[in-house]
Amino acid sequence: MADAPTPIMFAVVTTNRETVVGGMAPVFVAEDEAERDRIALWISRITNAIVHDLHNGTVILTVNQSGS
Amino acid sequence: MSAATPPINWTPMIVGFAAGLVSRILYLRNGRTHYPGYPSGYVSQVALAIIAALIGSSIIVALVGKQFTAATFLTLAATQFRDVRNTERLTLEKEEQLLLVGRGPGYIEGIAITYEARNYLAMLVALATSLVTEFAPPWAGIAAGVGFVAVGELFMSGPRLGEMVEVRPTHVRFEQESLLYAGPVMMMEVGLPDSRERFRKHALAVTLTPKSPRGAAALWNIAQRQALSHQAAAAIGVQKDVGYPEQTPLCRMDMPQGNGEAGFVILPVERNLDKLIDAIKRTPLLESGKWSRVTSPILTKPPADHEPHQDEGGHTSHG
Repeated sequence: MADAPTPIMFAVVTTNRETVVGGMAPVFVAEDEAERDRIALWISRITNAIVHDLHNGTVILTVNQSGS
Repeated sequence: MSAATPPINWTPMIVGFAAGLVSRILYLRNGRTHYPGYPSGYVSQVALAIIAALIGSSIIVALVGKQFTAATFLTLAATQFRDVRNTERLTLEKEEQLLLVGRGPGYIEGIAITYEARNYLAMLVALATSLVTEFAPPWAGIAAGVGFVAVGELFMSGPRLGEMVEVRPTHVRFEQESLLYAGPVMMMEVGLPDSRERFRKHALAVTLTPKSPRGAAALWNIAQRQALSHQAAAAIGVQKDVGYPEQTPLCRMDMPQGNGEAGFVILPVERNLDKLIDAIKRTPLLESGKWSRVTSPILTKPPADHEPHQDEGGHTSHG
């Protein structure tokens, strides 16, 4: 059901690699914000992930476990 | 055994049968919210309607003719209609996986119950009408039949969400660059600039304000919100396909406040606000939503006046 998703961290795309440490998701490092958004869009289209912006140079991609 | 059978009076059976059939067929026209939608669906429903009306109308005739075996068998046949609900639920549950915006389990259960109840109602209308016709002149029976059908129609049209909840248009906006708001209600975080642009350009949003505690209870029910999302998407379409979870229509409560107000946002295909509001108002009030007072955070405690959030200077230390 689309109403109770369980998001899991899928990937991290960042322009500021010092702000991201460890974790289960792969980290993609981008040159600038345009490139970062492009990578995020690509990954989200390939994997059906949702992109969330943390506003510190990093965007995260999450997938809902139940799909939808 | 039946050496001296009196001539059978067919009139009660015919009038009762007609009334039952008419009452069942009248309820068939709820096309968009309820199954059926296709000729095969109608055929099976009409067939069930005929059986139900026949059972209801023949029972009085059988009893008057002292055919108790027949009457017993008829009651036995009536219990077969229990399965109808399961069949209906299974069909809708299978279909659920293929819908972009699902109905939700609460709505499916509601439809299945209604579907079952309608068959029983057709049976009752047929029974009552044939009873009147048996002991009164045919014209009185016909009049009673019309009356029973009307009463049944009133009885079966349950409350709609619009009676409990005020639906008002609002606008979407982004706060702190990427937090999507429908009026005062925070919906979600939208990370991609492209997606934000899509929401700014295409999204329609409404706020749902409960008129009564019962309306609030309905909105706190997740199944009810899923049902209204489904109805809205069915009415104006949704720009979504498999694998676009971000573009699912969302209905969320105004959460830090928890005052029972909800926001709804959708990316429509047909940009028609009136149609959207109408569809939400006509969403049936779900049975599971009626009694969620107990679990509702807002109805069980007196409204505490929390200050709105202020997220300044949270100490988040990294590494």
